[in-house]
Amino acid sequence: MVKRSSNPGRKNRTGLWLIWLDALMLLAWGGLMLRFWLTGRINILLHPDYVWLAIAAGFALLGLGMAKLWEALRLTRRGIAITEPSESHTNLLPPGWSSALLLAIAIFGLQFTPRAFASQVAMERGVADTLTLTRSQPQSFRTSTRSEDRSLIDWVRLLNVYPEPDAYTGQQASVEGFVIHSPNLPSNYFTLTRFVITCCAADVYPVGLPVKLAGDRTAYTQDQWLRVEGDMTTETLDGQRQLVIQAASITPIEEPQNPYDY
Amino acid sequence: MDRFNNALTLFFSLLVEAMPFLLLGVLFSSVLLLFVDERRLIAAVPKHPLLAAMVGGGIGFLFPVCECGNVPVARRLIVQGAPASMAVGFLLAAPTVNPVVFWATWIAFRDQPELVFLRVGLSLLVAVIVGWVFSAQADLRPLMQPTVARAMPAVRDRPTAAAAESSLLQSGTYWLGQSDQPLRPDGSLSTSAIAVNPALTKPLPDKLWLLVNNIVQEMRELGGVLILGTAIAAMVQVFVPREWVLGLGQGPVTSILAMMLLAWIVSICSTVDAFFALSFASTFTSGALLAFLVFGPMIDLKNIALLLSMFRGRAIAYLFILAGQLTFLFCLLINLYIS
Repeated sequence: MVKRSSNPGRKNRTGLWLIWLDALMLLAWGGLMLRFWLTGRINILLHPDYVWLAIAAGFALLGLGMAKLWEALRLTRRGIAITEPSESHTNLLPPGWSSALLLAIAIFGLQFTPRAFASQVAMERGVADTLTLTRSQPQSFRTSTRSEDRSLIDWVRLLNVYPEPDAYTGQQASVEGFVIHSPNLPSNYFTLTRFVITCCAADVYPVGLPVKLAGDRTAYTQDQWLRVEGDMTTETLDGQRQLVIQAASITPIEEPQNPYDY
Repeated sequence: MDRFNNALTLFFSLLVEAMPFLLLGVLFSSVLLLFVDERRLIAAVPKHPLLAAMVGGGIGFLFPVCECGNVPVARRLIVQGAPASMAVGFLLAAPTVNPVVFWATWIAFRDQPELVFLRVGLSLLVAVIVGWVFSAQADLRPLMQPTVARAMPAVRDRPTAAAAESSLLQSGTYWLGQSDQPLRPDGSLSTSAIAVNPALTKPLPDKLWLLVNNIVQEMRELGGVLILGTAIAAMVQVFVPREWVLGLGQGPVTSILAMMLLAWIVSICSTVDAFFALSFASTFTSGALLAFLVFGPMIDLKNIALLLSMFRGRAIAYLFILAGQLTFLFCLLINLYIS
């Protein structure tokens, strides 16, 4: 907080320094939000529905930062002394510390490239075809779609609505996802997996279907992205009857710009 | 190393998601400060603590803030001399009882509309009861952080118009009280405007500049602690297996406890937590989902850091225990008798 010349008794440069710090902190945070957006990495952090919020916040922070920068420049040029900002009002963190922490995190964030979660997280969170969790966005059911147009999450949702694997036997599948070597599957199976995001990376959860291979799964490394085409069959794996993709062709693909599904 | 990267991704994801809402919160809070005379609002509050708590819980509808944004508003209400029951009622209810959250929950649980109304109703109920309990403490100041307590008007000595003359909005300075108050460390805009809010009489450009400064100041304060809270939330999420949390419960009692624990750990913003809860709609009891939706916005890991900018630890423990027990009790009743 700045007060001009109303208290000439207590002048020092601390206040000015804090204004500079605030300005830099705000600009860095605005830059960070916009950078995540411009590099497309924001898709790894947020559900697309909330991206506009982050963008708007990024611009707002830049605007605030500009205002503070303008103030800092003006005061510096004029050499106006700032009355000392109260050190007492801040709770927990003194103002300089708080700004410095925010600035440090923003600068760190500008260097940091968020990576989509991979097999390790998926195994920890438990890949399932019985989505505990499938009720999000049920409007995306399209029972009329051709079976090969269904994404992995479409299949899993369908399976949750009508959980009899035999009902889908013989249907064609063409799905994309990454490889997980599930420890409870025989070595000629892997789980093709995708993360579903509902809001932000904090709540992503994995869904997947077992894929039956002609050979051993070691031909495909974990976390590799693949398009798997084949027919649906039913098998008993790990003590339960499951829908399995009998792979006919497997094509390696690039990790999608937006690795999550919705 | 992967795990570390995951924790960082989670950390930035939570921050990037929370930052817009935090900004919106401090914006509302600052606008409230500069353009609304809370004293009028506070003066209109009924004297009876129960009614005051109800008003406090209900005014969330005027300020659509989530749990990052309600703390500065509640803090200011307290500093402006709002009764404890009103401020606490607002603090607990506002993140849930507001149009944005109602809308989001409605979108998420369209096929279970009863959950939407139960969420709002139960949050209001718990908030009013806890607010009422807090009204038993006539002078809140021993429960507040010293800096907030200093800015609060004494109970017997509510601010008068005359006292207000001296507290020009010279934030961040020491001011010489006109009367018997000597050199007194001034708070910020947020904690110094004790009596008549002098900003209300300033010309618009000055107001806007004060608005910017206040936003920046609250951003800085709350942003710093948000980072600390988010860091803890991200670490717990990555380093404590989720199954361990979820595995705790399928039963009517344990499922509620598990969801409350999850709500506390995940610290997800109330505006978006309905979507998160939706993910558990098919595995958890309705009571447990409700417990997540009611308890999470009131108190969670991230939010404790923010609450510490206002209350002492003891008061937060009271809030935590009271809100937790009431939520648990009501959700258990719902599990046992309704669903």
